[in-house]
Amino acid sequence: MDRSSFSRLYEGWLVQVRVVHALMIRELTTRFGRENIGFLWIMVEPLLFAILVGVIWRLTKGPEEHGMTIIAFVVTGYIPITLFRHCVARSVAVFTSNGSLLYHRQVKILDFILVRFIIELLGGMMAYVFIAIILIFFNEFPMPSDIGLLIAGWCLYAIFCFSLCLIIAPLSEMSEVLEKFVPVTTYIVLPFSGLFYMVSWMKPEVRDFLLLSPFVNGMEMMRKGIWGNQITAYYNIWNPIVCSVVTAAIGLALCRRVRRNLSVE
Amino acid sequence: MIVCRNICKAYFHGRVRKNVLNDVNLTVERGQRIALLGRNGAGKSTLIKLIGGVEMPTSGKITRQMSVSWPLGFAGGFQGSLTGYDNARFIARIYQRGYSQIRDFVEEFTELGQQLKMPVKTYSSGMRARLAFALSLAIEFDCYLIDEIILVGDQNFHRKCYHELFEKRKDRAMILASHSTEVVREYCDRAVVIHQGTAKDFGDVNLALEIYSNL
Repeated sequence: MDRSSFSRLYEGWLVQVRVVHALMIRELTTRFGRENIGFLWIMVEPLLFAILVGVIWRLTKGPEEHGMTIIAFVVTGYIPITLFRHCVARSVAVFTSNGSLLYHRQVKILDFILVRFIIELLGGMMAYVFIAIILIFFNEFPMPSDIGLLIAGWCLYAIFCFSLCLIIAPLSEMSEVLEKFVPVTTYIVLPFSGLFYMVSWMKPEVRDFLLLSPFVNGMEMMRKGIWGNQITAYYNIWNPIVCSVVTAAIGLALCRRVRRNLSVE
Repeated sequence: MIVCRNICKAYFHGRVRKNVLNDVNLTVERGQRIALLGRNGAGKSTLIKLIGGVEMPTSGKITRQMSVSWPLGFAGGFQGSLTGYDNARFIARIYQRGYSQIRDFVEEFTELGQQLKMPVKTYSSGMRARLAFALSLAIEFDCYLIDEIILVGDQNFHRKCYHELFEKRKDRAMILASHSTEVVREYCDRAVVIHQGTAKDFGDVNLALEIYSNL
């Protein structure tokens, strides 16, 4: 790469950062306003979800499951799944609802998806850290044994969610029927999300099947990162990577196609 | 310079295809003021959106070699649920300008006072027009795209707009979609008549106006 194309890339990067920054502030003010805790609401929903479900499981199933404290098990499952469900739901019709921003040429349709995803991602991460600190304090959550693995699992999980958004957003513009199918589909995905189980609890033939799901691989990595030697985890980091690359490639092609015919009011 | 080469634009609704523009060619040099004339639905706004990059042409190519404003109209360019100030802040951020400078200009130009603290969706169309104008004039562009909007608002606003656009910025290029023959005759050096998807370029504004009035 010669000098000029490098500096153009750098300039483009600066524009990108500026636009994402401005869009994020805009999105946060429109969604949460400036009243009471303001943008901190982004972590409240995953937090409530994880805590309440955790409490219910704790009351119905007792304090531990396969040597893991049950509240921690539920929390580690529910926060990633809320990330997935929220960012998918948020990317439906995202181009139409943000259409008026396309009046500014530096704003691209991918920025809309990216911004909403980043907001959900930050919300999920903040909720995760917050709840883990509190639970560690009450001795209900183990000290993560391999924080790198936990972060890697979270990243792979999140990247796959993002690449799904890249497909859902343009598809929802192409057909309004899709919008009706999104809630039920995210519900059906639940058993394949690794939320309720560890793969090691399953029979070997079921294991191989479950490990086809990128969510399960990500989830196993996160839990292994937390409990370490106390549990057995099965995962293959290439599964989420390959799935994300393929999905993102299809999604980007669809976005490009939809942008051509997008009509802005 | 802005060059539109062989622009076609069609809108699709299900299987229905509507051709709006058909093989339109247009060149805008620096400092030229061009009027777009045509009946309602002829494609003036569409052409302005294409030049502004809001929508993409179905085929053809648009090259911009000067900075082009976003299309100034009633809709677009700002967010209804945000306040006037928030919109100004947003514009300042994405165009990398100082917010205080933009805020001062917007306050002075719009004369909206306390209303700037209210969400834009509570504004009347005249107030929206003021805000839209103020925001785009706060950023300096080589070429302004103006879609009808110039005709709304009261006398005082008119005077301000004319002063800012046609006196202070008379060296800038401008593409103006308007039904007002006086405005076009007084300020434009060229006119393009859009009719049935084709655009005819006239160096003589009076001739263009005559053809337009006989459409």
